[in-house]
Amino acid sequence: MRILVVEDDRSIAEFVANGLRQEGHAVDVTDNGVDGLERARTQTYDAAVVDVMLPRLDGLSLVGALRRAGVTTPVLFLSAKHTVDDRVQGLQSGGDDYLTKPFAFAELTARVQALTRRGQLTIEPTELSLGDLRLDRLTRRATRGGSPIELRPREYALLEYLMRTAGRVISKTMIVSHVWDYSFDTGTNAVDVLVHRLREKIDKDFEPKLLHTVRGVGYVLKVA
Amino acid sequence: MAAGLLGRAARVVGGAFALRIGLWYGAVFAVSAAALSIATYALLARALAAQDHDVLDAMLTRYAREYARADLPGLRALIESDAGEGRHERLMVRVVGRRTEVVYFAEPPGWSAFDLAPLSQRPIQAGWTTISHPADASVLEVGSTMLPDGVLVQVGRSSLVRDELLARYRAGALEVLALILIVAILGGVLLTDIALRPLRALDGTVRGIVRTGRFDARVETRGTSDPLDELGGLVNEMLGRIQALVAGMRGALDNVAHDLRTPLTRFRSVAESALLSDDPMALRDGLGRALEEADRVRATLTALMDISEAETGTMALTPAPLDVAAVVAEAVDLFADEAEDKHIVLASRVAPGVSLVGDRTRLRQVLANLIENAVKYTDPGGSVTIEAQRGADEATITVRDTGLGIAAADLPFVWDRLYRADSSRSARGVGLGLSLVKAIVEAHGGRVQVESEPGRGSSFFVVLPVAWHQNPTGRG
Repeated sequence: MRILVVEDDRSIAEFVANGLRQEGHAVDVTDNGVDGLERARTQTYDAAVVDVMLPRLDGLSLVGALRRAGVTTPVLFLSAKHTVDDRVQGLQSGGDDYLTKPFAFAELTARVQALTRRGQLTIEPTELSLGDLRLDRLTRRATRGGSPIELRPREYALLEYLMRTAGRVISKTMIVSHVWDYSFDTGTNAVDVLVHRLREKIDKDFEPKLLHTVRGVGYVLKVA
Repeated sequence: MAAGLLGRAARVVGGAFALRIGLWYGAVFAVSAAALSIATYALLARALAAQDHDVLDAMLTRYAREYARADLPGLRALIESDAGEGRHERLMVRVVGRRTEVVYFAEPPGWSAFDLAPLSQRPIQAGWTTISHPADASVLEVGSTMLPDGVLVQVGRSSLVRDELLARYRAGALEVLALILIVAILGGVLLTDIALRPLRALDGTVRGIVRTGRFDARVETRGTSDPLDELGGLVNEMLGRIQALVAGMRGALDNVAHDLRTPLTRFRSVAESALLSDDPMALRDGLGRALEEADRVRATLTALMDISEAETGTMALTPAPLDVAAVVAEAVDLFADEAEDKHIVLASRVAPGVSLVGDRTRLRQVLANLIENAVKYTDPGGSVTIEAQRGADEATITVRDTGLGIAAADLPFVWDRLYRADSSRSARGVGLGLSLVKAIVEAHGGRVQVESEPGRGSSFFVVLPVAWHQNPTGRG
């Protein structure tokens, strides 16, 4: 996919662009709003990541102008502010999602993916699998190596989420928001407790281990 | 130097203002006085003219009657006796015969200047005639009456005396007017100056604050109900509020600086020790820990901003009708596993139908903080219970634990930022949780309470109004 990044802080822009390139996207970077608007209008992108505070033309105005010009490229706003008002303003101006700085890269990619998926009809498989781990989404039953695993509702929710995003690092914030539907930073170790329990069930008696901790970032489900 | 100049400029400006107002007062007063004088003068002049007229009229009747009674000799005798007695002012008297011959003429000395020719022109009619003096502004007023035999009697009088009287009045009035003008201007300036004194005090105070940036100056007031005095009082009140707000913001900034220094120091030391190591695993570990510290800084910053916003009333709350049981259940859900692992009984006993209007996310955050604390400080085997009751117009949510409790000496401070009782120093946390709870609850117009018995447990109460009324000023 082709993604436009409009961010004036060079190191953040590089971090975002490099990360997205490693995920296999083609990325264009610009450091000001005027140039960003020009590119977004004249070229075709699958998504745009736009900082709210930009030199020459701020992000909100940029996206507003873009929408008036009839360009519907999905936009993810980045902002150093975190109040609800900013969020509402950002979405009203035509942005599709909002991410507050500082953010984990895992969250950024998850949101960019969600944006580009939006509007497309994706057929989700009824059965997810990774190695010898299988999850039937209709019966909500999990097996590993053929032996059934009893899962509680929260454990199922976490496992299903990790299996759908297998191979991708998922942050604690994303897990809290996905499993418990909490939008604020809880600062609790509820996630650690839940991951620990899930690990006991799917990894303890099996090899290879599938659920890995990425220190300081989050968790990832993958084969080795 | 600059201060002195500014002050002098203020005084001059104030003085010029008082002078201007004073001049205006004086001008208005002088115009009024002049109008009054002119009106008086006109009335006086008219009254004097009427009086002269009456005198002429009376004399004319007197002489005509005498002439009719005793003919010319009688009239002459009467005029001479009048002049001799000095009882009557000397008048011009003329008797004109039927053939326009002047049969008698008497005039006061020095009257020859008047041209009397018009008086003899035919047809002579009875009535009033005026003849202007050729040199000065006086006039000769002449009354004529026709007797039955066709003889005309004329009596005249100069307006000279009257004019002199009016001239003296004019001169006197002008002097008085000039005096009035001076008194009016001086009095106006003085009175304005006195009246503007409170405004000048206000001006001085505000200028002082603008110059120095110190908000502790106050306007001097006398405590009267005079509007200017009240204005001063209002300004003082406003200054008090601004001062409190500025102090609050400074305090918040100090807190932010303090709260961020500690995790930043840890962040730095983690990164530094990782760099000093040659072991790739240690490097990885250091980077991971650095990330964790960065997240902690972010969490602290978010909490501090939230507290500030809630306290200053700028937190954007989205009120919605809430089922308290559902909100409690959501909060409990977050800690169910942790409680189970710690062998703590986490139970909620919420009467059905308890509802209120509030911000769902923020109230969930309040409960999550309280439950997290309760679970953290309760030993295995204990219990944490959440209850909710609905009062008349308030709902009370209680988080009760059988934990280690809080010493009586610490109780009043548990809501303070960064306050952590000695007994809880070892547990991890930023110490902002309860401050955030208090701030959010107060932003909802509610209040928080705590009861505790060391060794037996604590109860935290959140009392919220059922109806929505966001506290507009926070703690101001």
